[in-house]
Amino acid sequence: MGEKKIRLKLTNLKKSYDTAKGKFQAVEQVDLEVYDNEFLVLLGPGHCGKTVLLNMIAGLEEQTEGEILLDGKAINGSDPRIGMVFQKTALMPWKTVMQNVEIGPKFRKVEKTPRRKKAQEYIDLVGLKGFEKSYPSELSGGMKQRVGIARAYTNDPEILLMDEPFGALDAQTRFVMEQEVSRIWEQEKRTIIFVTNNIEEACYLGDRIVLFSECPAKVKEIYVNDLPRPRDVISPEFLKLRTRISDNTDLAL
Amino acid sequence: MKKRKKKTDPLGRGRNCSKYTYQMLSIAGILSFLLVWQLLLEFGILSDRYISKPTELVALFIQKMTDSSPDGSTLPIATLASLQVALTGLLLAIVTGVPLGLLMGWYKGLDKFFKPIFEIIRPIPPISWIPLTIVWLGIGLKAKAFIIFFAAFIPCVINSYTGIKLTQQVLINVAKTCGASNFTIFWKVGIPSAMPMTFAGIRVAFGNAWSTLVAAEMLAANAGLGYMILMGRSFARPDIIMLGMVCIGALGALFTFILGIVEKRIVGWRNVK
Amino acid sequence: MKKENTVVPNKIKASDVLYFVLPILSIALLIVCWEVASKNTAESFPTITATWERFLRLLDKPIMRVSYWGHILASLKRVCIALIVSWAIGISFGILIGWNKKMDAFFGTIFSFIRPIPPIAWIPLITIWFGIDEFPKILIVFIGAVMPVVINTHAGLSSVEDLYLNVGTAFNANKRQMLFEIAIPSALPSIFAGIRTSTSTAWMVVLAAEMLGAKSGVGFLVVRGMDGFDMPLVLVAMITIGIVGALLSIITNCIERGLCPWERKK
Repeated sequence: MGEKKIRLKLTNLKKSYDTAKGKFQAVEQVDLEVYDNEFLVLLGPGHCGKTVLLNMIAGLEEQTEGEILLDGKAINGSDPRIGMVFQKTALMPWKTVMQNVEIGPKFRKVEKTPRRKKAQEYIDLVGLKGFEKSYPSELSGGMKQRVGIARAYTNDPEILLMDEPFGALDAQTRFVMEQEVSRIWEQEKRTIIFVTNNIEEACYLGDRIVLFSECPAKVKEIYVNDLPRPRDVISPEFLKLRTRISDNTDLAL
Repeated sequence: MKKRKKKTDPLGRGRNCSKYTYQMLSIAGILSFLLVWQLLLEFGILSDRYISKPTELVALFIQKMTDSSPDGSTLPIATLASLQVALTGLLLAIVTGVPLGLLMGWYKGLDKFFKPIFEIIRPIPPISWIPLTIVWLGIGLKAKAFIIFFAAFIPCVINSYTGIKLTQQVLINVAKTCGASNFTIFWKVGIPSAMPMTFAGIRVAFGNAWSTLVAAEMLAANAGLGYMILMGRSFARPDIIMLGMVCIGALGALFTFILGIVEKRIVGWRNVK
Repeated sequence: MKKENTVVPNKIKASDVLYFVLPILSIALLIVCWEVASKNTAESFPTITATWERFLRLLDKPIMRVSYWGHILASLKRVCIALIVSWAIGISFGILIGWNKKMDAFFGTIFSFIRPIPPIAWIPLITIWFGIDEFPKILIVFIGAVMPVVINTHAGLSSVEDLYLNVGTAFNANKRQMLFEIAIPSALPSIFAGIRTSTSTAWMVVLAAEMLGAKSGVGFLVVRGMDGFDMPLVLVAMITIGIVGALLSIITNCIERGLCPWERKK
């Protein structure tokens, strides 16, 4: 593992909120290294501070303590090298699929022709050709999240954060989308940090799986998963890894 | 994430300012508004034939508590006259409009019967009924209450109707599987779930009633705040007009506030998350 | 409902017939009521035929040298000018106080003190200031129309979902893009609700303004009918007001559907 290049480094990261009932610790001392082009899965029970952790990396929230280093330099606020796929798809209902996908380059004031070309590339990649002029309200849940993924890729991030992107999908669509994300990742290598509370999803997607404890979020154990892709979810090795992780998981109420 | 708080301010919307700053700014806003108003008159930039100073309005307010000139009634009497008309009309509208809207929304037959009549009458502003009402009922309490009733009735019906139409099918199904009759479902499920919308309608109804009241009192009355304003114009007394406007505004705000409290009491479950 | 229960056998057909007949029945009832009510009191409540004849006569004979259509146009002109100005000013001001909290604290408070005064209550003061020309009437309508626009724009902009703003932050939008690409579009439905209310308010206020002193307009027709005890004219004017008001609200709905296509396709 030592020869791999470290892209993102979290040191002593903490986050707490002042609430009416006193101090609430959401993230407690997370130290984590993320390697170049790896698929890292953050796994933990619901509401354990994973989203807060991701929001801090994305620059949506400020950490109470600690540092986030990207290529050795601390990042402040949101960084264009970090992209995000949101939990609730967060597509703008007033924009068409094309307008949603091109939002990143548009905000960076890229001209219309090149940014449209790029957006089209990723719309095709996620399999939404022909839906460019549709509004999000006309799409199914899975299609919406495909738009969310295309939007994140079009902005050309070096690190991609995905926050429980398939939480709202039904089991069938969810599995199809997992295959899609895996396929797209192999086609367009990026560093992906993927948050989930689903053990199978974690085992299916992750190169490494970081298991978090219950609130406040704390790294419990890190599993390396080098099963060949595409993974077979009923192979003995897969099931073994799955059992190992689930035995070690805190039960969420 | 449930516990997420407002982040620090990347938008320059002033989110990171304290509550105290905003309160001070609000007070500063009002004070500077009054000060500019006063100073414009003190330095004669605006003529006091057209507008009067805030300080004069306060003095007039105290004087009008007991003095009935020039419009024929003291301020408390005028206020009572207006309130009496407005509340009579509003209460009538709530008592008839809300049940009608609820029934129309629940029973299709009633909907089909009343909807056309309602749709024909709805676009005619209540103010234009004033001449007919004067001919029918004169210019007393009855006539004005009728017009106000009209203004308040329509939002009461529309909102109750929409509210009950939006009752979640799941809730109706739950009641059905428990063996409730159609009327029981209407009473126990439909009406409670329509209440937030109905209350919004009552608030709109009050706003309509209050502004129609002014029109009614200006066109056909011999008492009330609207009449006082109209007399102020006849006597070219801007101070009387402005005092009337302030009273109307203040009473309107007060009643909206009271309605808000009542609403919180009754449909408070809606805001508990 | 009782009726429905008595025809339980082949229910679907019977209720369909009932639902078809009921609206016709209700309109017929309305007409019969009008006729019966007006039979004894033709003076104060004209019959349908008298009203129709008055309408035809009005088409031929202008009042105050302005034709029937001329009166409608006069009112519409006042409303349209006032509406356009109030939308422009109301939306801008609403965005200002909805987006910037400090502006909201300062100007929003002043606004919320003026807001409870009904627009009609401004009429006497404004006629003292500016007389009874065209401008004061438009100003009164403007005051009535601008309030709902400001209130709704303010509400829409101050309640933009955090989720959308987070997307903006994550994709590095600057302040201008945040406002124009995210906040304003997401507030559009709310802004349009304000525009719809402002249209119906404007139509009501112009009526009041015309009834309190004008030489043209549909509100003037109402007062003219009342002063001359010409009740058929009052009714013609009222029906006209109703129809034009309904048309205005249809037009605003069409504009909204044209400008917010994503709402239509839901």
